[in-house]
Order: sequence, then structure tokens, then C-alpha cells
Amino acid sequence: MLVTKNAAELCVLLVNELYGQLPSRLMATLISKGRLTVPHLAHHTSLNHRQVRHGIVVLVQQSLVFTFTDQDSAVTYYEANVDGAYNLIRTGKILDMIDTKFGRPAKLLVHDVLLLGHAEIAEVVRRYKGERTSQKKPGDVDPCRNHVNGDGALSPFTDSEEPDPAGEAYNVLAQLIGLGFLESVSTMTYQSPQDFKSTVEQDVLKDFPNGVRGSKQASEYDTRLRERMREIRAERTSLKRELEMKIEFEPSAKRRKLLNGGASNGLTLTSGGYWLRDQEGHTVIRLNYEKCLVELRNQKLAEQVEDLIGDTTAHVYRAVLSALSRKISGCQADPSTMTDDELMGVRVKTGEVYEHLNPSVDVSAGIGTASEDEIDIRRAEKIRRYPPETKGSSLRATLEEGDELMASDDEDYDHSAETGNGSAVNGSRESKADVVNGDVSPRSYRLRWMRQHLLILAESKQGFVRHCGSDEWTVDFSPLLQHLRYLELDTMIEETFGRQGLRLTRILREKGKIDDKTLPTMALMRKPDVHVKMAEMEMAGFLDVQEVPRDNNRAANRTIFFWFFDEERTLKRTLDNTYKSMVRCLQRLEVERRKKRNVLSVTERKDVKGMEEEKLRGDVYNEYIQFLELEKKLLGQVSRLDDLVAIFRDF
Amino acid sequence: MDEDTSTLKTQLYSSCEETANGDPGKLFTQEDLMALDVIPPKDVKKLLKIIQVLTDERLFAPVYMPSGLAWRLRPQAEAAKYKLLTTSDQVMAYEIIDNAGAEGAWQQDIKRRLNVQDHALRKALKELEAKRLVVQFTTVENTSKKMWIKANIKPSSRATGGPWYTDQFLDEAFIEALQGVVMSFIKNRGSYLSKSGGGGGADRRRSLSPVVPKKGVINGSSSPAALKSKKRTADAISTSDPTTTTTTTTTSIDLPPSSSPHKSRRTAVRLPLPAGYTEYATTEEITAGIQAAEVAKGQPLKREHVQELIDVLVWDNRVEEVRLGGHVVGYRAVRVAKQSTALDSRPGTDDFWEPRSNGLTTVPCGRCPVFDLCEEGGPVWAGGCEYFDQWLA
Repeated sequence: MLVTKNAAELCVLLVNELYGQLPSRLMATLISKGRLTVPHLAHHTSLNHRQVRHGIVVLVQQSLVFTFTDQDSAVTYYEANVDGAYNLIRTGKILDMIDTKFGRPAKLLVHDVLLLGHAEIAEVVRRYKGERTSQKKPGDVDPCRNHVNGDGALSPFTDSEEPDPAGEAYNVLAQLIGLGFLESVSTMTYQSPQDFKSTVEQDVLKDFPNGVRGSKQASEYDTRLRERMREIRAERTSLKRELEMKIEFEPSAKRRKLLNGGASNGLTLTSGGYWLRDQEGHTVIRLNYEKCLVELRNQKLAEQVEDLIGDTTAHVYRAVLSALSRKISGCQADPSTMTDDELMGVRVKTGEVYEHLNPSVDVSAGIGTASEDEIDIRRAEKIRRYPPETKGSSLRATLEEGDELMASDDEDYDHSAETGNGSAVNGSRESKADVVNGDVSPRSYRLRWMRQHLLILAESKQGFVRHCGSDEWTVDFSPLLQHLRYLELDTMIEETFGRQGLRLTRILREKGKIDDKTLPTMALMRKPDVHVKMAEMEMAGFLDVQEVPRDNNRAANRTIFFWFFDEERTLKRTLDNTYKSMVRCLQRLEVERRKKRNVLSVTERKDVKGMEEEKLRGDVYNEYIQFLELEKKLLGQVSRLDDLVAIFRDF
Repeated sequence: MDEDTSTLKTQLYSSCEETANGDPGKLFTQEDLMALDVIPPKDVKKLLKIIQVLTDERLFAPVYMPSGLAWRLRPQAEAAKYKLLTTSDQVMAYEIIDNAGAEGAWQQDIKRRLNVQDHALRKALKELEAKRLVVQFTTVENTSKKMWIKANIKPSSRATGGPWYTDQFLDEAFIEALQGVVMSFIKNRGSYLSKSGGGGGADRRRSLSPVVPKKGVINGSSSPAALKSKKRTADAISTSDPTTTTTTTTTSIDLPPSSSPHKSRRTAVRLPLPAGYTEYATTEEITAGIQAAEVAKGQPLKREHVQELIDVLVWDNRVEEVRLGGHVVGYRAVRVAKQSTALDSRPGTDDFWEPRSNGLTTVPCGRCPVFDLCEEGGPVWAGGCEYFDQWLA
């Protein structure tokens, strides 16, 4: 995989931060030189073979390198897994997300899996058991504490009766695997995607001894290849599907899901847990970053809704996304391996969304009141069967195309609200009270208000939700995220170049190329001001200029200057700048550590660790606290920058 | 000129005047003139003669169309002015300036078209100016161009820049003020201002949520939640004096907005309106609102001017379009939850009580002027970066 210099630097720094110098040196060499064998690695790093093998073991354990063994020569090649290395930065976020979604035990288990890289299920459970018993002793170190992204300082366990930690662990693991957050590991997973693909291709090609000739054979080859890919994928997810089935039919599963996966009491094993303990104890599992990304994307999108619309609506949106994400396995699914269902886009019913809605949210809040005659219900309930097209670069163009599509089913709108609920749908607060006192159940009352939030989301300019059928909802992630990318870009431009700068770039984005004579009139700005701003932004690389000479002389006054905004380039540049900023934060952290190494070396000592407050002298302790503040600040920034990377690259 | 031609001429001119009906730009082709039933049918020769006479008397101005020749009427008062002209240079120069109308004619352009010596043209123009037939003016598009226009008409809005220009200069203060008016109009029409405990309710709901950290947890500055959370306002809330928050209901308007964003949030909050709301402000309504409020006295703002203002606000990412069915477009404020609750709006300064930010805007690198030079071992590097020093201090 090709990476920029800054991205490579970042990956090396991250490996260094977590696993030390030896693996990071190997990583750096692998990124810069491409795939290498052990002797070559030793040659390039000036290490001996033994050291290289030691380092490689760590990297393989954490899936930071891909391996590929040539069948004929029995030589193994290693290749850096850049995405894997980058994912190290998200450790803290993922643990946090697992914690809020599935509770403490799940977090501990995932934490163990992350520490081990990949491990047998039985091994993970054994470690977990050990931790739980040692947790009982006061003053012991929280296992998350040493982790760079682990944020430490978590409240200790409150529930005292924990009779069977192993059973609990199996239950939680079954749930996590069933939902796809953990995945089983096979030899295939250690191959790089390209190697994997070429292996499968070779495999399929064996069925064509004379080679693929003609269009008929080519299409046959294609279908076979796709089938084979799908088979392999199904094989890899067989454990997941098995557990998924079991969770579906688990009587208590629904309740547990509603409680946000809160602590299952661990007294009885669920059938999934049983099965896992008895059948699959030796299966090797690891974290599935793709699925975690889906969850992180949900968080980010809900945050955006909270920022743009309001927090009650954000809660409803969370429910929509969590209902949807059960059916989504990755953010950027490969169309060649997608099933027809996935290609059509997943959709959820209003009822399903309601199931996922947090019961403590007051859905009747967060919407302004308007009298009924001010509401155009046909427009509000309009059904948009087709996703907006993301052709062309300018936003205006996409929107208009979308509108035209909508116009085709202009008369198509959801009648269910009218028939089911009568006129009180958009009623004022007074009518709301009447309905409560009447015979309407709280469920349908909440459902109706939740629908209102869904409709607001559907009406939003960003298109957070698409009302794709009667009582059916879907999210068109790719256009939505395109919007969010622009939003982040706009935020940055406004912060750096002010409101005027934002205005000018948005004009260019909407209108395409514009010469510097028309721009001031459109922006209602003075010409010199415009020129200064444009030059500033061009220097920073946000804008480009094209010169079109009117005659052969190419004199400046006979030349038209067209300004334009190159989206793709700007996004790429911004992404790379983000990497660079992250690198700088981490480097700065390293510098600060060196400055404070007297203090830090003391805190590293076994007898001081964990009880710094008692053991350290006052001034040293203060210095230590200061350093922790600084570290928090820098790592916090790195994680915010990672949010940007996620939006620009991963989601 | 015989009697017949003279009467026909007057008849033709007056019937043309009738047809034009006060529209000075109306063009008459040969067919149009024949259809007026003044000239005997099929007598093209007669028509030609009369047109010739009228053109000579400057009552008809020939216009060259792609489809052929056509004529425009010239009022008699205007035509009389040609009689004041003495030289042919004057006549030709005046003709060009006359035809240019409100747009005016560039001196360089006149010269090129007449193909006369520079001093001859200058002399002619000077004489015309002395006769108070033409005046010189400057357009906002190019202040260095020497432009000429007939003395009795005003330069077009394109030349003066419309209502946005005062004496050839863009009146930025005026535009800013009007944008504020438009913004507050759109904001107040397109969102619901919940005053009665709406903000408190929002806080209460927030603390109920299992996803968002609970209030008690967020108070500890060292807690992971406080670190992770973008809402630095939580600290401000917990430290702010509880007695002041009760009084802000009455005082929040008087306080400078920059000092009390958190407090005003707690007393009131803006809420989105239900989907399908039809009363979002349209351009026409905003225009009417501005006229009613009499903020732009002496500068009658037309619909298209207001549209320009709204477009700029859209580009500024302050308002967004909402389709109200058909081709009617309404406008509403973006980020309604974070819009300031103040009723009036001054663009740029206090639109949102919490500005948007992301990783790159908060880290010093995002705004570093020497970011491209920054390199480990180079003149600028992370360890010795003074922006980091300031930021971490």
C-alpha cells in the first residue's frame, strides 16, 4: 500500500509508542522498502537474524505485518500492514465504545484481546478470570492503566456477587463475536489483501487449464471468482453467523440488548456461551476493526446531529444507526463481495428504531411547536425511493439531481402517520397532553414523537436519513459523509481565513471556475480584499489559479485569471496535514518525556507505580501531575485529529 | 417635402408612439411599420422615403439586428438636441453616447468607432459638455475609465454598483448591517425559541443519557469523560456562580454576548421546527420585512438585492435553503441548536454560542505559518516549537 511520508512516520511512531524500538525499526524499514524476507530485513536494519525474528514475532502477533510464504521456495515475505498500525491509535476509542455499548466485562475482554493481538478464546477467558480475582485485592493496578490510550482512573467494580467470571466471559464473547466486533482468525487473515486476491485468482484459474479465452470464459471466470470470494468470506464468518443465530433465539437477548448490553448477571450461560466454551475454545480471535469503525462512525454522526439539530434528535439518530449497523459489517464494503441485499442498501422499520431508542429519552422535547396549518404533511412525509446521485463535484449539482429524482415520485408520501394517528401528529403541546390522558398508549405516543425527529432528520440538508418507503428508513452514508467532509473543511477554512475566506471558497465550489472580476460582485466584497484573501488561500494550498492568456503576448493585463477549488487535492492535502499534526503531537510528547525523565524514571519503579501520591515527594509529585496533564492534552488532540482522519479516509 | 409626406410622417410617428406605449426600447421592423396602416399598403417606396425623413430628423434611430434593420423611436425633445450640434464629429460622438444609454460610453471606445484623431474627439466632447448635453462619470467596475453619458440620465445600476455602493465605494458597513437584519429575520422565523426551561430541560435530558457522561463524572477535570468530551462548557457551568444563572433571564440581553454564552444557553435554547414546516422565510418576505423595518431608507432594496445578501449568507454557511414545494425556496438558519438565542444578529461575531472546531483548528499545527518547513532536525521542529510552548503552557 502506498502511504505518504507523514503517514509512514506516524505508523512508526505509534508502533514505537506501544511496542518499543525494535518492532518500530522493522516497521519503518518494511514501509520504506516494501516486502522483505528476514535476511533482507536484517541487512537493511543492521540487526542480526535473531533480533529481527524477535521483532517480527511482535509484529505478527499484533497483525502489524502481512506474511506471505511462497509455496515453491518456502521463503516467507513480510509486508507492513499500515492500516493495522494506524488502528493502534483508535485503541482507546474502541475500548470506550465497547464500554458504553456492552459494559465493563466486555471492555476488559476486548482489552485482553487487544493486548494479545490475537488469542484463543480459552486463553482470553483464562486471563479474564485471573484479572477478576486479582481485582478484588485493593490497590492493584488497573490493567488498562499502562496502556497508552487506556485512560485509567476507572471506577472499581461495584457489583460484589460475581460467582462465575468464566461463564460471564463466554457469554460476553459470544455476544461480541455474534455482533461482529471480534472475528475468528484464519491463515488467510495474515495475507495482505492483494496476496489474498491473487491466491484466490490462482486457485480459480486452475479450473481453466488452457487459460481464460473469449468473453464467455471471461465472464464465467468472473462469476467463479466472485463465488469463491463469497465462499471464503462465509467461511470466515461462520462462527459469527452461528452465534448470531443463537443470540437471535435467545429469550433474554432482546432484553439485554435494550439495556444496552448491560451486565448479564453471569449466573447462567447463554446457549451461545455454552457453545463457545464446549466447541470453540481453541478458536483464535482478534478484534474486527471494520465493525468497530462502523460503531465509531455512528458515534460521530450522532455527534454531528447533536451539533447541527439538537440533542434529542441525536438520541433518535443513535437509535436509527444502531438499528442499521446490525446489518452493516464495514464502513466501506467491497461491492464485489456484497450480497444483493447489501447492494440495495439496508433499511429499518420505525418499530426497529424504537426498539433501539433509549427509554429514558424524552422524545417529545427538542422540536419547536408549530400550528397544524403551518405544516405541509405531504412534504414532510415525502418518500424518496432512490438515493441521491453523487455525480459531479459541486454540491449544488448533486442536490438538483436528487431533487429531480424526487420529483418523479412527487405524489408519493407516507400515509401511515395520517391514518394511524389522526391529526395530533404535529399538534401543539396542549394537544399532546390530551393524547396522554386519552387512551393512546405511551408506546405509540413516544413512537409518534420519535417519528417527528426522524422526519426532521430526513428533511435536513445533509440528508442524515432517507425516508425510503412507508415506515422505512435508511441512511445513504456516502453522500452524507461527503457532506461531513466539506463541513470539516469549511470549519477549518473559516477558522483560518475567516468568514470571507469561507464565502469565497464556497462560491468557487458551487460555481466552478470564476475569474477574479466577477468574484467580488458575487461575494459583495471589495476587490482588493478579495485579492488579498485569494492570494492568502492560494499560498495555503486551498485554492488554485489558472491563467488563460487572451493573446500570444501573455501580458498580465491581457490574461484572465480563473480561480478554482480542487476538492480532491484539498482533501488529500488536509488528510496528510492531519497525519503530520499527529506526528508532531507525538514527537512533542516524546520531547516532554525526555525533559521530565527524572520524574518519570522514579514513577516507573515497581514500588512507586500505582501509589505515586503516597510515595513521591510533594514537588516531584506535582511535576508528575503536570506531566500527566500535558500528556492528556497531547493525546487528546491526537485522538481529535484521528476523528478527522476517520471522516476524511475511513468512514 | 410635400404636404403628403409631412402628414404621413407625423401620423406614422404618433401611431408608433402609441404602439410603443411608453417603452423606449421597442423596436420596429419594416413589417411592423407597414402593419400600422398609416402608409398605403405595398407602397414600400413611400415608407422608405418617410423613414428616411424621420431618421434625418433624428426621430427614428436605426438599430442593426441580426435579422435586419429596425428602428427605435426617439422622443421629440431628444431629437431636438441634435439640432444644437454644429460639427459632424459632435453629431457622431453624441449619437454613440446617446445609443449607449444608461450604461454610458467609454471614451476609448468612441474613438475607436469613429476613427478620428484624439484631439478632434476631445474637442467634440468638450463642446458637447459645454452645451450640457453629456457629462463624464466613473463606473465602479473600472474607476480609471473615462466614461460619458447623456446629461439628463443617471448611470445604470451596473455602473454605480447598485445599492451596495456609495460614491463608487463598496459600503461594507451597510452590507454588514443588512446581513444582520436578514440573518435575524431568517433565524427568528425558522426556529423555535424555547424560553421556559428549555435549556434546563436540555441539560437534564443530557444527564439522563447513558451515552453522554453523567454530570457528576464530568465535574472532575481529570476524569476521562471530561477529557474526551468536546464540551468544555461543562467545566464553565460547574464553576459559574449559581446565583447569577437565576438572574440571567433578565440580564442576559444587557450583558455583552461574548461573556455569557453559557448562561444564555441555560435560560433559552433554539429548537428546530417540525418537518414540513411551511413558514420558513422566503426572499419576498425578507424583502418586505426589510422595507417594513425601514432599515435601508433612501436605498430601495429590490428582491434581487436581498437575494444577493441571502446568497452570501448561504455561502458563509449561516443559512440554508429549504424547499417549500414547487419552486418556492425558504431559508432557515444552520446549526439551529447552537445558534445564539439573541433576537438580533451581528454577522461574524456571535452567531453561535459554541463555534465549530475540529482537531486541526485546535492543535497549533492547524494554523502554523511554517507548517511546511516543520521537520525533525530542521529549523522548525516539534520539540522546539514555540506555538506548542504557548499552547501547552
